[in-house]
Amino acid sequence: MPVKSYKRIASLIAFVAPAFLFYALFLLIPTLGGMFYSFTDWNGLNPNYSFIGLGNFIEALREDPDFVNSLLFTLKYVLFMVVLQNGFALILAVFIESKVRTKGFFRTIFFMPNMISTIISAFMWTFVFSQVLPQIAEKTAFKFLDQLWIGDPQVSFFSIIIVSLWNGVGYMMIIYLAALQGVPQSLKEAALIDGATPLQTFRSVTLPMITHAVTICFFLTLNGAFKVFEVVYGLTGGGPGRSTQVITMNIYEEAFSNNFRYGYASAKSVILFVIILIFTFIQIGVMKRKEVEA
Amino acid sequence: MKRMSKGLLCSLLAATLLAGCGNGNSGSNNGNAGSTSGNDGSSGTAKSVTLKMFIAQPRFKEHYDKYIADFVAKEKADKNIDVSVQLEMPTADNASQILKTRLASNDAPDIFAIHAVNEIPSYYKAGYLEDLSDQPFAGKLLDSVKPSVTTTDGKVVALPLETLSWGYLYNKTIFTEHGLTPPTTLTEMKAVVEKLKAANVTPFVLSYKESWIPQLVLPLAVGSMVKTKNPDFVAQMNKDEGSFSEMKSAIFDVFDLINENGTAKATEVGGDDGAAAFAAGKGAMWLQGPWYAETILKSNPDLDFGVAPLPVSDDPNATLINLSASTSLAVSPTSKNKEVALDFLNYVLDDQASNAFFQALKFNPVATIHTYESYPWINDATAYVKEGKSVQDPAIPQAVKDEVGKGLQAYYAGQLSQDDVVKALDKAWKSYNKVNK
Repeated sequence: MPVKSYKRIASLIAFVAPAFLFYALFLLIPTLGGMFYSFTDWNGLNPNYSFIGLGNFIEALREDPDFVNSLLFTLKYVLFMVVLQNGFALILAVFIESKVRTKGFFRTIFFMPNMISTIISAFMWTFVFSQVLPQIAEKTAFKFLDQLWIGDPQVSFFSIIIVSLWNGVGYMMIIYLAALQGVPQSLKEAALIDGATPLQTFRSVTLPMITHAVTICFFLTLNGAFKVFEVVYGLTGGGPGRSTQVITMNIYEEAFSNNFRYGYASAKSVILFVIILIFTFIQIGVMKRKEVEA
Repeated sequence: MKRMSKGLLCSLLAATLLAGCGNGNSGSNNGNAGSTSGNDGSSGTAKSVTLKMFIAQPRFKEHYDKYIADFVAKEKADKNIDVSVQLEMPTADNASQILKTRLASNDAPDIFAIHAVNEIPSYYKAGYLEDLSDQPFAGKLLDSVKPSVTTTDGKVVALPLETLSWGYLYNKTIFTEHGLTPPTTLTEMKAVVEKLKAANVTPFVLSYKESWIPQLVLPLAVGSMVKTKNPDFVAQMNKDEGSFSEMKSAIFDVFDLINENGTAKATEVGGDDGAAAFAAGKGAMWLQGPWYAETILKSNPDLDFGVAPLPVSDDPNATLINLSASTSLAVSPTSKNKEVALDFLNYVLDDQASNAFFQALKFNPVATIHTYESYPWINDATAYVKEGKSVQDPAIPQAVKDEVGKGLQAYYAGQLSQDDVVKALDKAWKSYNKVNK
């Protein structure tokens, strides 16, 4: 028995070690390093730096309105994205699932934007917003299309949401599709015989049966929305001014352009990490409780 | 059995990967050892030296390769040293990150390129730049160029390659058509604007999508004020004493004039789109430097444009061309082959070879030995410089420049007032002082 368990551990290590080694080397150690630097005033260049305790954290939350504003903007973005991305993905999945013949075609069509890299789709949409839509407005009667889509701080938030959704909905849709296919046909038929309307069936049978997919999708969208960078970078660059600056962009700016305050930027990243951690824990905790087994 | 072989394969793979890394390290170590032992070699046999260079201009690789080959031949002939050069040319985007990592980990290249105005102060403070004041090349530098590679305590620490003399760009064809000349005061500028508007020409191309473009008005305004009314502005700001409220009218009078008479949708037009609009004659003037010349000529090779100083007030003496330097070569003080590295730097401004090199790279003349014919817009600017209508790029911290770009974008979009921008700038400079004290 002891020999056997030793063997099992050995084979476990043998399989895990290579992956873990790279994981540790390229993710774990740099992460811990970043946390270490968040307590210093290192500028990324000077070999000398000193520990300043929690100074960076206090400054970020108390004396840095740009950081707080970018945090609020990110929260607004997260809220819109989590609701809209999951809503659209679920609706699309349900519609596609009901089309027996053209299922494959629509699935491919809606998933396609996901295969384009985010930054490229952001540049594509920049072109659409600044060139194509005004041209359409000129040629047709849709005058409302001719406006500042990404240059006006009021509108650019929604432009960012549109591009993010266009890019991200397909992936969530695939997950929901997979979950919908796992709902036993017998339950639906039973509901039908009991006289339930399609809407009732969806709410009381289908939805509870796919809660595990909802958990995963919420987790993914929540995480992804907090870490949004490329879409905003490609579309508005955080501008005009800082009106569409998200938190990752604020961190990037602090570390690589302003005063090269690596230590301070690391502290901000740690704050972001903690925020995501808390939100994710709450979300998983709440949703796990609602999951049911077939 | 199958599992066993898989495990074996995995560990084999990991082992080869690690071995690969190991080999790489030992290889480079050998290289270092070779070069140091070469230094100690007796004078009779040819010494061999490996020189590491780091120049983030991959688009000029051929020119550099050729020039380095000439240098190697010269060094062999003059001093009997076999030089082999490892030239590293990362793209400009991540070059400064790579260089910083190298310097911080004591793996400094012997010669490296940095940005003169933005990077020299912090690199010099960290002790990464060798003092080059007594090198022969330092005496050859033009007086208009030298200050940008000189530290605050008067040491020349780099050799400038790319230099800039700029104000704004204007379309010469449009100007001659309407009988205009570049204005020297703000009132004259207003008259020019009115005349252009009366002739249905949009006076200015606006391109504020990238925040560094509206930012350009700051060095011009501050430079003018530093040369005329506020000579101590930068020093005061560095001591936390000054305020940008002194600069308010210099910055905003002309910025407002430009914005009121510019093309539409400025916050959606980037630099390249702006260049295309300017090349197509959609505006008579563009707040931009001649570094966009290549892009402009690509979209309209026949465009006749010039560089002129931007008026910021009604004092014609405050209408000045801005002089600054960007890519510059520096030597690491920890270099093991400093002698050869310095030889190379002096060779860059060699009396015979340098002329053709700078001309091929399309750089502006930086030294007295440069006699080649340069572009018309550079001649325009040089004419102003010769009249004394120029000022050294004021040493505004990069953080403040970034802030002003964002601030002026928001000001254009109507989100900030002039006072908000001034306040944000003061704050940015103060926090720069705090971080870099």
